[in-house]
Amino acid sequence: MNAIRSTQQFKRLNAILKDPLLIIVLLILVFFVAVAVLLPIIAMVGESFSEEGLPLFQRYLVDPVYQTIILNTLIMGLLVGLIGTAIGFLFAFVQVKLDVPFKRFMHLIALIPVISPPFALATAAIVLFGRNGTISRGVFGSRYDIYGLDGLILVMTLSFFTIAYLNLRGMMEALDPALDEAATNLGANKWRVFRTVTLPMLLPGIASSFLLIFVEAIADLGNPLVMGGNYEVLATRVYVTIIGLFNTTGGAVLSVILLVPSLLVFLVQRYWISRISVISVTGKPSGKPQTINHPLVRWSLFGAVMFICLIIVLIYGTIIHGAFVRVPGVRWDLTTEHFDFIINGIGAQAMRDTTALSVLATPIAALIGILIAYMVVRKEFFGRNALDFSAMLGIAVPGTIIGIGYILSFNTPIMLGDFVIIPKLTGGQGALGGALAIVMVYILRSVPAALRSGTAALSQIDPSIEEASTSLGADSARTFRRITLPLIRPALLAGLIYSFARSMTTISAIIFLTTPQTKIMTQQILNEVENGRYGNAFAYCVILIAIVMVAIGLLYLVVGDQTGAERRLEGGR
Amino acid sequence: MKKANRFSTLFLCFVILFVAAPAMAQEDTLTVLCTPQEDWCVAMTEAFEAETGIDTNYVRLSSGEGLARLRASSENPEFSVWWGGPADAFIAAAEEGLIEAYESPAAAAIPDQYKDADGNWTGVYVGALGFCSNVDVLAELGVEAPTSWEDLLAPELKGFVAMAHPATSGTAFTAFWTVVTLKADALEAAEAGTGYDEEGAPTEAAVDAAFEYFAQLNNNILQYTRSGAAPGSMAGQGEIAVAIIFSHDCTKLQQEGFDGILTTTFPEEGTGYEIGGMGIITNAPEPEAARMWYEWALQAATQEIGPTVNSLQLPTNPDAAVSELAVDLSQIKVINYNFAASGASRVAITERFDAEIATTPTE
Repeated sequence: MNAIRSTQQFKRLNAILKDPLLIIVLLILVFFVAVAVLLPIIAMVGESFSEEGLPLFQRYLVDPVYQTIILNTLIMGLLVGLIGTAIGFLFAFVQVKLDVPFKRFMHLIALIPVISPPFALATAAIVLFGRNGTISRGVFGSRYDIYGLDGLILVMTLSFFTIAYLNLRGMMEALDPALDEAATNLGANKWRVFRTVTLPMLLPGIASSFLLIFVEAIADLGNPLVMGGNYEVLATRVYVTIIGLFNTTGGAVLSVILLVPSLLVFLVQRYWISRISVISVTGKPSGKPQTINHPLVRWSLFGAVMFICLIIVLIYGTIIHGAFVRVPGVRWDLTTEHFDFIINGIGAQAMRDTTALSVLATPIAALIGILIAYMVVRKEFFGRNALDFSAMLGIAVPGTIIGIGYILSFNTPIMLGDFVIIPKLTGGQGALGGALAIVMVYILRSVPAALRSGTAALSQIDPSIEEASTSLGADSARTFRRITLPLIRPALLAGLIYSFARSMTTISAIIFLTTPQTKIMTQQILNEVENGRYGNAFAYCVILIAIVMVAIGLLYLVVGDQTGAERRLEGGR
Repeated sequence: MKKANRFSTLFLCFVILFVAAPAMAQEDTLTVLCTPQEDWCVAMTEAFEAETGIDTNYVRLSSGEGLARLRASSENPEFSVWWGGPADAFIAAAEEGLIEAYESPAAAAIPDQYKDADGNWTGVYVGALGFCSNVDVLAELGVEAPTSWEDLLAPELKGFVAMAHPATSGTAFTAFWTVVTLKADALEAAEAGTGYDEEGAPTEAAVDAAFEYFAQLNNNILQYTRSGAAPGSMAGQGEIAVAIIFSHDCTKLQQEGFDGILTTTFPEEGTGYEIGGMGIITNAPEPEAARMWYEWALQAATQEIGPTVNSLQLPTNPDAAVSELAVDLSQIKVINYNFAASGASRVAITERFDAEIATTPTE
């Protein structure tokens, strides 16, 4: 058996070796992952275990102050993970299992946080629910102290619950209603069905949602920076250590401490949860999911979701409204001075630079993601899993770690003898005024999403279709372009949209990489928020959201969300 | 093979771009490290560009961040000139060789007390530290606007005071050094020789006493911000009652929508002040343009740009017109601020502050 298997493997390997294009593409992908992802992470870990770094580990881990900070980080991650998953579950459940009005509205509201710039939520939350908040003080007359853990939980769950929502909604839709019916026929009531059939089936999805949100929460920099109060977490500590004290080694050590839970979660998610999955996907589920009709359950869940929707609408309404008033929360006279300041000032360059770099990064990221997915799913080669794993690290690792890694790795050119392999990338004197490093970070942060959706889409397609193309004489490039790519077009679109939105809104990974020559909108928003000029910050947010929406519209037009086959079918009708 | 071709074309574009870009950057450009508020940086760089035709870029960084950034890129500096921010940071920078002396003809017009004797830096503005309070919040808490450093420790103000982090902000460092000086004066008054050493620098005991004060104050602090002026907006928004900031930053907020909401007071035992410095970066990539900026920034007309964007610091050039909204230093008690000593202890103090105070949870 083994012998047969290895001859098969050998044959496939041989097939790669015979195809020079495949080898070139593979080499480019490996080179990208090695240089853009692995090298900076290794450099950062190396710095933390250096002679200056090791004693710091001892200092930080023993110091009760830092123990509190580490504990704070974990508590925050845990609570945000739990609540975020619960809200995501609630949204998904209402969407799939209840027959209630405004489903489309709820769905759209749940998606908004994906394209939201950092700081937007936190800043608007302060205006609404802060000590002098329009709602907390204006309506309830209380000086509610939003700074700290409670405020962070509010803004972070609202920022990240979408992850759980999309994840769980997909799984709920894929659940075979026949199982529910079987349970009902055996005499179980709805609650019992939910408890003993639905929930266990969804457990892997719930666990992985929790873990993803946990990682996002502990890595988040923007929210704790704005409304952390005296609730210190590791991400802000890394930031102050590097920006304020310029202690790169200290920052690296703290980052490694932050890296441990993130990587653990990533490994658990990758190797454990994927295995305990009890769902057998046997194609499209047969029949329509049963809906729950008990009025109390139905309307209380509906009310809960609508309440959360209301808060999200309020927050985004505040952002848009705040962009047009003199001082949000204090002086409500209408003005366009914030837009004037941005468009006629430094903001114009920031808009141009950020959009240009994101536009550059988006197709490259989507292409690299899809190509890695193609290689990993379809081809057999040594280190296949390692390639997939390393590419996924781009998102598993907190952004600040990537940023520090880039400073450490690319502040001087990398030479092989007298030959420059990689020029100096970071800082004002870096390649393209530091822009190249930023584009690379944009790409590596976006590749994992394209890779995942690409892998999922490719696994659904029978390889024999591609084999037929090859048999008919097409080479692998032609097959990929004419057969594979059109079939996975929806995955490509998702990858492109995600890449663009992610690039435009990223802050933690590039905050250490911006230079005088390159202005990045999220960095400018941070400046404005930090200085309390909320009007300017909101105006930036509005512009940023508008750019992302326009881009998504364009991508739909250009790429389309249908597979090639669906297009043909409709065209033929 | 088409795809591979497109790839290589793109790659070629990249190569051309970053071979060509630095070459183009050499001519007619200037990169300024700018520490005052963003809109003043914009107004200054635009005016300079209009006057000289030099394409002028800036990055706004608080002085601690600026210092850190210069240190990190000292071998290959990104900036040519550093404009604004308390002089302590410039003294620290000069000590580390990050800025270099320049014998500026225009600096002759600036009074001696506002510039470095060795020409490492020249003052471009002066401002006094004050307390910026929200009158409504104060009334609600039942406290008067603070008129002494002790007033800030009132238990009613718990969680209602904000200042920046001295590691990043020159404003916050000025506040810290002001308390050091006041403690040194008190010690000296009790027993000669305990407050100041032979060279006139505050003693370790005075610094320790200041740390004790800020450890107490920590219980009243809501948040340490990154930028010095930020607590002022928090006070304006009604999120806190008192901000420890430069009085001109409070006046600026009053001019920009917070009039009638914010009030400025000064500590009667004495307050610190800043001389906004300016220096040329060592190994500046654009030394010529940097010197042009240096000369230009000291002109009376240039120092009148600030008030047009509500930045109401006092000019250092005696010929520049003084806005009537600017603080009158003769009306408040100003401490004897030892810039040389403060610049020399900056790094040690900010690191100690970060370790002992900023990270400590409040009681």
